[in-house]
Amino acid sequence: MSKAPCNPSWFHTILHSILHPLVRASARVIAYLYPDAKRWQHRFNGGVYPQYHKSLSLQHPIKETLIPKQLILPIKLSAHQKIDLKVSVGDSVQKNQLLMAASKANKHGVIVPIHAPTSGIITAIKHTPLTHPSGLDALSIILEPDGKNQSLENALNINGQPPGEPQALKTILLNAGIVGLGGAGFPTYAKIPATQGQIQTLIINGAECEPFITCDDLLMQTQAAEVIQGAIMVAHALGTPKIVCAIESNKPAAIQAISHAAQHTIVTVQEVETVYPMGGEKQLLQELTGIEIPAKTHAIDSGLLVFNVATCAAIFKAVTQGEPLTQRLVTVTGLGLKIPYNMHALIGTPFSDLTELAQPKTPINYPLIMGGPMMGFKVKTNQVPVIKTTNCILANPPEPEQLTMPCIRCGECMEACPINLLPQQLFWHSQAHEFEKVEKLNVFDCIECGCCSYVCPSRIPLVQYYRHAKSAIKEQHAEQQAVELAKQRHEFRLARIEREKQERDARLKAKKEAVKQRKANAPEKSQPSKKSSATAAARAAAAKRAAASQKATGSSNTSQPSRASAREKAIETAKKQAAAQVGSKNTTNKDPNKNSKATAAKKAAAMAAAKRRAKQNQEHTDQEASTVPSSTQAPNSESNPKAPQAPTSAEEKRKKAIEAAKKRAAERKARQTQQETH
Amino acid sequence: MLSAIVIFVGLAVVFGLLLGYAAVRFKVEGNPVAKQIDDILPQTQCGQCGYPGCKPYAEALANEEADVNLCIPGGNEVMILISEITGLEPKPLDESAAEPKPKETAFIDEDVCIGCVLCIKECPVDAIVGATKLMHTVIQSECTGCEKCVPVCPVDCIEMRPPKPSLDTWQWPEPQNRPTMEEKKHE
Amino acid sequence: MSLSPFSSSLSSPFAHSKHSIRALMLKVQLAALPALLVHIYLFGFGIVMQWLLALATLFVVEYTLLKLRKRPVLPFITDMSALITITGLVFCIPPGAPWWIIVSGTAFALIFGKHIYGGLGYNPFNPAMLGYAFLLISFPVQMTQWTLPAEVANHYITFSDAFYLIFTGVIPNVSVDIITSATPLGKLQTELSQGISAIESLAHTMPVAHDGYSSFHVIHLLFDLNSWEWLNIAFLIGGLWLLFTRSIRWQYPVGFLSSLGLMAFIFHSIDPSTYPPVDFILLSGGTMLAAFFIITDPVTSSTTPIGRFIFAFGIGVLVYTIRTWGIFPDGIAFAILLMNITVPLIDQYTQPRVYGHK
Repeated sequence: MSKAPCNPSWFHTILHSILHPLVRASARVIAYLYPDAKRWQHRFNGGVYPQYHKSLSLQHPIKETLIPKQLILPIKLSAHQKIDLKVSVGDSVQKNQLLMAASKANKHGVIVPIHAPTSGIITAIKHTPLTHPSGLDALSIILEPDGKNQSLENALNINGQPPGEPQALKTILLNAGIVGLGGAGFPTYAKIPATQGQIQTLIINGAECEPFITCDDLLMQTQAAEVIQGAIMVAHALGTPKIVCAIESNKPAAIQAISHAAQHTIVTVQEVETVYPMGGEKQLLQELTGIEIPAKTHAIDSGLLVFNVATCAAIFKAVTQGEPLTQRLVTVTGLGLKIPYNMHALIGTPFSDLTELAQPKTPINYPLIMGGPMMGFKVKTNQVPVIKTTNCILANPPEPEQLTMPCIRCGECMEACPINLLPQQLFWHSQAHEFEKVEKLNVFDCIECGCCSYVCPSRIPLVQYYRHAKSAIKEQHAEQQAVELAKQRHEFRLARIEREKQERDARLKAKKEAVKQRKANAPEKSQPSKKSSATAAARAAAAKRAAASQKATGSSNTSQPSRASAREKAIETAKKQAAAQVGSKNTTNKDPNKNSKATAAKKAAAMAAAKRRAKQNQEHTDQEASTVPSSTQAPNSESNPKAPQAPTSAEEKRKKAIEAAKKRAAERKARQTQQETH
Repeated sequence: MLSAIVIFVGLAVVFGLLLGYAAVRFKVEGNPVAKQIDDILPQTQCGQCGYPGCKPYAEALANEEADVNLCIPGGNEVMILISEITGLEPKPLDESAAEPKPKETAFIDEDVCIGCVLCIKECPVDAIVGATKLMHTVIQSECTGCEKCVPVCPVDCIEMRPPKPSLDTWQWPEPQNRPTMEEKKHE
Repeated sequence: MSLSPFSSSLSSPFAHSKHSIRALMLKVQLAALPALLVHIYLFGFGIVMQWLLALATLFVVEYTLLKLRKRPVLPFITDMSALITITGLVFCIPPGAPWWIIVSGTAFALIFGKHIYGGLGYNPFNPAMLGYAFLLISFPVQMTQWTLPAEVANHYITFSDAFYLIFTGVIPNVSVDIITSATPLGKLQTELSQGISAIESLAHTMPVAHDGYSSFHVIHLLFDLNSWEWLNIAFLIGGLWLLFTRSIRWQYPVGFLSSLGLMAFIFHSIDPSTYPPVDFILLSGGTMLAAFFIITDPVTSSTTPIGRFIFAFGIGVLVYTIRTWGIFPDGIAFAILLMNITVPLIDQYTQPRVYGHK
């Protein structure tokens, strides 16, 4: 509990805890005269009252589970996550069998495991489009069901005893692959605290406020006991004394079923107003407790934990039967379908298979929406699979687009915003790409509920502006970090080069002194002895450096036979390129390779007016040439790289070096032409 | 006449003292200009400005020895910021640099690489790993996209590639049907 | 609220309420209808003629400007916002003013009040009031000679009368001097400056029928209201309807009327002989028109709830100040324009507390 929760103001306390029933009743009456009064019935700011269309999919009972021709199980992962596949292509698997293992020791987030939703054969592991607004591809396991639906009993290997402490529960939840089924899909394992007694109240979220969706409603009606028992198990493990199940007032059947199941338990059922977005975690908590979760903290920090009803039911199955999460209740509905329905769909079932069952009125040549109309997203292809957070597949035929008009600052959006943000100012700055101001206006508190866009008389796609701004701000931050990193690394590199230069200067000095001494000792010595004496001096000055130079000499002698064929090929192409370059006299950007170094050096001298950058490159080359110890006359010595050398500071030195390099290069060329003729 | 002179002299003294006091009291310990410029440069260390890195360029700018339009990766945006900081006249960038380039990073074709370490020496941020006669590879997260390694490769095995789209980098596109746009632009 | 979940936008929500700018503007237009009827009843058909002239100017100006600015013409000409502007303007100018008054005023309001800033949504000043201020400064004589109510002038201005009056300046067989005079507010101000007390002055402004009994007179005797007060009440009725349909926010009329009433109450209590009573202030001039139709323009007012109240309250204070001590008879236009300037400041300091923030 890092921060104390924001306490509601005295006004709200009086208004809602003492006068709340009165306010509600009178608001309902006043609402006939003054529609805005409806908003006085609930405790959070704003909210909207869309048409719900829930009866569409409630008309029919839950349909029998469809076993499609193939299941697509995406391994949604960020670039750095390592995965641990337990199966390979061609394996036959049973229902509930582990396909990909969980991993929690991952700095890029928890990976929840994947289990086989039915028995069958793994036919491929390939990239397929994700169920995501981006439509990006991700690696997926393709499972072809055999139709037998043979399952592993107690796949999670549990003892059937409800866990008495959080860690045991967390382990089961992780192994069962349970994530928040309400929408966000955050791994439940990571959501619950590790110690007992941290949560004072567990809230079961049965406020399914999105239009069209009825899966939670039907789940509560049909599996009320599982929902309640699942929540009680969590409360038991966490040592939580109180459970509140909040259900919106437009689901009387669910309220009845849950109330019945909750008799003689610690669960209390509370009916809440039907208003969008009542089902939002923050909004529901504010409605139930009057507490605002402080910015940048989570409900857990205020001692509250919210679970969706479907999550509770999944927990119950995992804890009592050892059954992993491989299917979920999905609403398949929309104005484009004749028979909307709900189904316990297998995870991985393609959307199009499910909508075909609902008998589309017209062929579905428009994108389906995953989720409800307020917060869902359009999928890129209709063959994407059901994932754990797919609560609804919505097929609404497209309608001609409304023209976006300018913002008239009417303030409707602000009055609808449940977070009390300033949507039109956010929009203004987002449009102008003033992302710093957008961030200052707390865009990251936006829950993207869509109320502002819903009420906007100008039909401005406000939420999309905020989503774009959010991702742009994130990228800006990442870029800033990258820039900082680059700066640090560059400075480090400069420091290193400086250090190496100093070391080298010291070595050179020592070498010179050694040579001087030797000259004094024996003034007229031949070339080979000079070489050996230089090497000896270098060794005396810096053992490391000398060793490297020796190694270079040694390796160059034996290099030809030991080269890999690929490398030889590369050298061959390099030679060809070099020849071409020499021919075309075009060496400004393409650095000359080792064969044409001498030519390049000449050219560099000639093309003094050439681009500065090219010249720099050239200088580097020259320096490289000059850094080859003058004493070692070994062939191909420049192909034996050394540690990065410091640039020689004195101009004269470099000139001399260039001269030396030219000479050596000429010699080398002669030698190499000889080699080629052999 | 005399009283007017006295009054004005008095006023001058009072305001002078006030200004002097304000100058001392509210003195802004500003960033040195070079540091300010360095902070806005893209830190690719590409050397396309003719200076060995971003900091030397920033220092040259601070001493008014360099033009404001030399930072090619920064583009017009950085050029304008530089001219704002230094007070120098903004200048257009070369035509070649006027088009902003998307960020790319270097890739080494490991089948072709001969392990010459030339690129390792060239890299301003030490983002290439490898050793003599062993193939090299680029640490993608540290590559600044300066392209310095591309020309030095003797076998031309380095190429610049745009980053692969991933969920981590995916961005919601900006709405196209912006209000008060030019007539029927989105059609 | 209807749901139209089919918009082809990329991001959610895919549902939308039936709110639209057009519907909003139409409601405002509709709410001005009672006042228009009362206006016609009291002052004759001058306003209809003026309104038609303004409408014609509107179409010409909007079409030309939208074309020049390369904006789609149809959606912007049918967004009805310009209609609200001209309605506001038409109610403010004398019904018998020459035709070039309304034409130049409308053109000025639309061009310099709206298009020059980038069109709908981008203008910092209320276009109608900008147009009115322009007319008042440029043509003070024509702008302050108001047509007398029919029962006072003893002549009801028919449509053809209005036509002659507006285009030629004379009505056949009728002396124009008889049918025009200063507005009650203007008269009050003139007489106060001449040393006549407010009570005496107001006694004169009460309508006195020239020929004993007329039906108008009966009504006035019944309710003890003069024609301006009737007009204001008509605006009040339309405005209340707008409030109930949530087309305008309550902060505007409440803030404006409360501050204006408060100022009037304070000063009237201090010196009743100089300062007119509260009911006169609230029901004279364009008070109700401003309270419900002019200051409620969302584009040029503050957007935060508290900000709106402050904005309206400020206008009330300024209106009283200008009316009482300024040289213009009614200061609504100047008060609104002055408060328009302060809007960014008000917005900055009245931001609501975001959920979860202290």
